[in-house]
Amino acid sequence: MNLTSVNEKDAQGMMADRAVPKGHARPAWWLVFTREMADLWIGGKALNMILIYSVLLGVMVYVYSYNSELSLIPPKEMVYEMLKNAMAVSLFIGLVIGADMLSGERERNTLESVLLTPVKRGQIVFGKFLAGISPWPAALIIAIPYLIVISQGDEVLGPAILWGAITGSVLVPAYTGLGMLVSFWSSSNKVSYFVSLGIYILFLVPAQLPGRAQTGAAGQFLQWVNPLAAVNHFLSKHLVNYRTLAEFWTWLISPVVFVVLILGILFFIAGPGLRLEAGRSSKFLKRLWSRSSASIFLAFILLAGASPAMGFQTGNAQAEDLTISIDLDTAVVKSGDKVEFNTVVTNNGSSQSLPLIVAMNIINLNAQGDVVDPEDWSPQRTQYSQPLSPGASVSHAWIINTILDGDYMVYMTLIPAPGSQDTTSHPVASPGIHLTVTPFTRINPGGVLPYAIGGPVIVLIGILVLYRMRRKQIDNG
Amino acid sequence: MKPDNTGISATENPKPILVAENIQKTYGNRKAVKDLTFTLLAGRVLGFLGPNGAGKTTSIRILTTIMEPDSGHFMVDNTSSNHPELIRRKIGVLPENLGFPRQMTAFEYLRYFGQLYSLSPKEAGTNAFRLLNEVGLENRAKSLIGSFSHGMRQRLGIARALVNNPVVVFLDEPTLGLDPRGQQELLQLIQRIAREHQTGVILCSHMLSEIEGICDDVIILSSGQVVAQGPVQNVVGNIQRNVARVRVPAANVEASLELLRSLQNVFKVSLSPQMQGWISVEFADFDETISQNEKARNSLLKALIQAEIPVLSYEAEGGRLQDVFLQLTEEVIK
Repeated sequence: MNLTSVNEKDAQGMMADRAVPKGHARPAWWLVFTREMADLWIGGKALNMILIYSVLLGVMVYVYSYNSELSLIPPKEMVYEMLKNAMAVSLFIGLVIGADMLSGERERNTLESVLLTPVKRGQIVFGKFLAGISPWPAALIIAIPYLIVISQGDEVLGPAILWGAITGSVLVPAYTGLGMLVSFWSSSNKVSYFVSLGIYILFLVPAQLPGRAQTGAAGQFLQWVNPLAAVNHFLSKHLVNYRTLAEFWTWLISPVVFVVLILGILFFIAGPGLRLEAGRSSKFLKRLWSRSSASIFLAFILLAGASPAMGFQTGNAQAEDLTISIDLDTAVVKSGDKVEFNTVVTNNGSSQSLPLIVAMNIINLNAQGDVVDPEDWSPQRTQYSQPLSPGASVSHAWIINTILDGDYMVYMTLIPAPGSQDTTSHPVASPGIHLTVTPFTRINPGGVLPYAIGGPVIVLIGILVLYRMRRKQIDNG
Repeated sequence: MKPDNTGISATENPKPILVAENIQKTYGNRKAVKDLTFTLLAGRVLGFLGPNGAGKTTSIRILTTIMEPDSGHFMVDNTSSNHPELIRRKIGVLPENLGFPRQMTAFEYLRYFGQLYSLSPKEAGTNAFRLLNEVGLENRAKSLIGSFSHGMRQRLGIARALVNNPVVVFLDEPTLGLDPRGQQELLQLIQRIAREHQTGVILCSHMLSEIEGICDDVIILSSGQVVAQGPVQNVVGNIQRNVARVRVPAANVEASLELLRSLQNVFKVSLSPQMQGWISVEFADFDETISQNEKARNSLLKALIQAEIPVLSYEAEGGRLQDVFLQLTEEVIK
């Protein structure tokens, strides 16, 4: 038989004779999606991960509420931190599920039977991807009650949910897609998980850099390029610091570019070449490079060109002789209480002062006690004022949120800003406030305990209901 | 029985449904498959034999479009291998070590795959019940696959391979890990599928006895190349040697050895190294004609019977597929 003389019409005709579906068939991607959903959600890893996620949020909301009772963190910051952590866990879930999607099926020997069907590879990948991102809506819905509780009626709640949903809906598909790409190229699940975890940690690294490394131009650029750090920066500025979208929209470029790049590679390059072995043929790498190098280069140029990290500036100072007084001598309070007082700075000289800085210091009088970080105790660590005319005074209001019980001395330091790099100034110390903080604890800070426990319990009940429904479905056929 | 140009014969003029020509595949410097050429006819079972690493699984993966050949071509039911998606519509495969989703029921599993072959949910459901009935799993349709025994999973795997009513079914080591009864039942099922559906079956196996038992044709691969192919009887007949084996009670072994050594045309008599209790007899003048061989062997049996030594078993070496397999694969390795 001459194989080169294949009659394509005959071939099509014979195939039609063989299996002729008469009913309305469903799209293959939908079948793969529903199948994967069942696998993930009925006794699968998505359900378990969401349960762990809800427990984590419960613990977080409890800790934050406890801190809130101590006035450690204002609601805005708590909402931001909560959202940031919820998103970080959701991204981890997406990455882990994506990392198992293909290499896991290879390892369990279930991929081959799907590849043997006439379904296009791209549809298999697309169906799996859709199922892979399914934990995100559940994670967002679970996070909302916690955000409501922790926001304590603050106006930040609405924007937090909105921007959390938007940025999460950009990052979760990107991370899930990234996990699937790693899985695509991994010969074993172990390798896939290991590499994915490495990538996850890599994206978290910029947040762990020392303070100056984060705020310098290079550090800012690194954060801006990193989609996770960029989203966190945007949320922080927008939700906590009242900065507008117009000012900080550029921080959303890298997440968008990231998701477009990842999904482009997944669906248009890797997906159609899905096979039983890990990765694609060497021909593929050349194709990948030729297709993606231009877009990677373009993305880099875009990121570099639009980076707001390009214009950071520095300032200078000068010196003067002044006095500072406090309207409080002693205070005895419980931990969590607020202590409010005022300072007055007076220019007793005959000439105008330099710009002035007043800094708060809190010293633990107990030699065995913890060293106090005033930033944790007060929203006003330092306050700045304009130069004072001779005889003029300026008043500053201060708040201390007492965190730990103990015996403390609070005093203020007045620093005239030095005028140039080769001059200095003489700081002036105020009288001290002897602050005694007695212990105070609550089991249910802010009434949050029912939510902290209730969330995971509801998820657990959901799991049991799903399990029972599945059992019934099996029993009833 | 009439051999065709590729050496594989046909009965009742069945049509060729799988034609492979000059298929080659190389991994690095190693040729996994060299010039694989054969034809499979409808309703026949073709055994794919070969030692580990002979290229069986690679060949199957190429023919099932999971892997691309470096060169060569094949057609399934007149569909060229240039159209892998169309090929996949026409074939059914039970891969070696097929994994199953533990949380699905047998019915859901088959219905799912039916839908992947473009059947509507209703059609796929009806098809699933029909197949479960065919492989004898109708009573376990609602059971989770996780609760199935290995044999039941293999049956389900075969049902899954038949979900699209294929023209060719590939079965890679289907009886691996099954008990003897399970093996027998599965082999009967395979034979029935081939005969009743006029489906061509390619059966990959290490179990030479099962290939011999149910296959019409055989291909023996060694180091990636075909060393023998054709109807089982022809392949076996071509390799017959002038050695016979006889088994007698342990008490009569010494007497038998002495008696057999005294016979004419006997070159060598020894205890068989591979089979305990068997005496191996090599004839001195091996004749090409079958009647001469049979005469020599009959004289052996006649002598034993006349000496009143009970003959427990008797077989001619080379008369079994195992002998052919060992000889051919050994030659290639050498």
